[in-house]
Amino acid sequence: MIRRSRLAGLLHLWPIVALVLLWDVWVLANGYTSIVAPRPWSVINDVVGNPDAYAIDFLWTLAISVGGLLLGMLLGTIAAVLISLWAPMSAVLTPAALIVRSVPVTVMIPIIARVFGYEVYTVLVVTVITSFFPAFVLGLSGMASAPASSRDLFVVFGSSRPASLWRLRLPYAVPNLLLALRITAPLAVLSAMLAEFLIGQQGLGYLFIVARSYMEIDRAWGTALVATMLSVFAFLAARFVERRISPRFT
Amino acid sequence: MTESATDTIQSGGSAATAAGSTAAVRPAPAEAIALRNVTMSFDLGRSKRMTALEDFNLSVAEGEFVALLGPSGCGKSTVLRLVTGLEQATSGEVLVEDKAPADLAKSHRLGVAFQEHALLPWSSVRENIALPFRLARRAVDWQRVDELIRLVGLVGFEKARPRQLSGGMKQRVAIARALVLSPDVLLLDEPFGALDAVTRRRMNGELARIWEEQHITTLLVTHDVEEAVLLADRVVVLTGRPGRVRHVQTVDMPRPRHADITRSAEFRAVVDHLTDLLDVDRKAE
Ligand SMILES: Nc1ncnc2c1ncn2[C@@H]1O[C@H](COP(=O)(O)OP(=O)(O)O)[C@@H](O)[C@H]1O
Ligand SMILES: [Mg+2]
Repeated sequence: MIRRSRLAGLLHLWPIVALVLLWDVWVLANGYTSIVAPRPWSVINDVVGNPDAYAIDFLWTLAISVGGLLLGMLLGTIAAVLISLWAPMSAVLTPAALIVRSVPVTVMIPIIARVFGYEVYTVLVVTVITSFFPAFVLGLSGMASAPASSRDLFVVFGSSRPASLWRLRLPYAVPNLLLALRITAPLAVLSAMLAEFLIGQQGLGYLFIVARSYMEIDRAWGTALVATMLSVFAFLAARFVERRISPRFT
Repeated sequence: MTESATDTIQSGGSAATAAGSTAAVRPAPAEAIALRNVTMSFDLGRSKRMTALEDFNLSVAEGEFVALLGPSGCGKSTVLRLVTGLEQATSGEVLVEDKAPADLAKSHRLGVAFQEHALLPWSSVRENIALPFRLARRAVDWQRVDELIRLVGLVGFEKARPRQLSGGMKQRVAIARALVLSPDVLLLDEPFGALDAVTRRRMNGELARIWEEQHITTLLVTHDVEEAVLLADRVVVLTGRPGRVRHVQTVDMPRPRHADITRSAEFRAVVDHLTDLLDVDRKAE
């Protein structure tokens, strides 16, 4: 039983294997030199052989992504709660949220950098902004999904507004917020990387620029590889959390 | 076709305070629920309105059990919602304990089981029944909770979640939840609708027993004539669309009323009479 499930687990990795093989075939078929595109083996070798070179920047990007993700989702949830407690708040928050949403992150980053300075925490700000919107929108619709009969019941039992929020609307929003987490987790990694690439002085995005400018091609590609793994890991971790917790609320 | 609602109410019996009657000269039983000349119409958009209740009068004395009987869609649930304060009458007056209905809810003295069970899907049976304690910011009396679980026959299901329960079991949880704070006023909207006949009779018996112990002012909506006659001091029959009081039937059979009373001639006569009244309405439709 166990062996079979392990085997099934390994089978799930086929896209990665296929990707690596395709990558190699692509490099060979086009006859690229290692300056244009290195072969996967030398990139993997660089990552496995020099973990120290990646470790600090990896941990940095991980910390910024997770921190920005949680902070952004928290702020998004708080904004949704404010609106659900006091409807006029919607007129203030919704347009702002929509503007933030409709401007692409790539455009936003230089502007944010101008405002906040080319600092480390500007990267965090970018990640927070990316993580805000899904939690805001999905949190709002989750709270609105509490059935009318339950809301009536709370009124009839003399519930206070905070109690209705805490005991009814927020629990109804939990599955939606976990969905937001799953959607946002890889995005948070992506926007942290992008911001580091454009304005950072730390992290995988920054490591990529440095490696490229020194023509360390294996290192530059290795950074992309590590970032991809981080992103996939973020998604899998979020999905794990969602699958564990969501059923308890439905 | 429309008899005067006020007349029927006055003929309706002892505990009833006639709608619009002057203040009691003798100390009559206090009036717990009063609807006076209530009209309720809903805005359906495009300047269309739907009148659910028209010139509706009802008075429930303190400690009285009144059943509302009528075809579906005649406004029974609307009456209940008006008494909870969830809905405001278009015109007329609704009073509970001489105050605005919402006051009772705010002071956590109202017990309600709506047609929809409205259980919290993430909470166990036990937690769902304890909810009113939490909303009233009172320490949960677990002994009381467990006593009610016994009463509604859900022992062994304390830890079950709503989705693991049948429709009838969910309704029983909702009834236990309505009773848990020993409310002053109890409103039940077809609470036994999803139960099979046998469980329904058993629950009727349990409700009668609880009621005889505490004499909670109760307004029960049902379309089961036998249930109404078995449980109520008075049965109010409504006409359909718009809802008015067609007839008020006082039931003065002695309590406790056991199941065997349903076979007595007196009981059958009342049931047949009320069934005929409901039938008139169906034919008219
Ligand atoms: N919120 C509402 N908006 C519009 N119409 C309503 C609303 N609530 C009830 N009604 C209408 O009022 C009538 C009476 O409804 P209800 O009180 O639920 O009937 P009953 O409980 O006797 O079946 C029905 O025709 C229903 O469609
Ligand atoms: Mg109804």
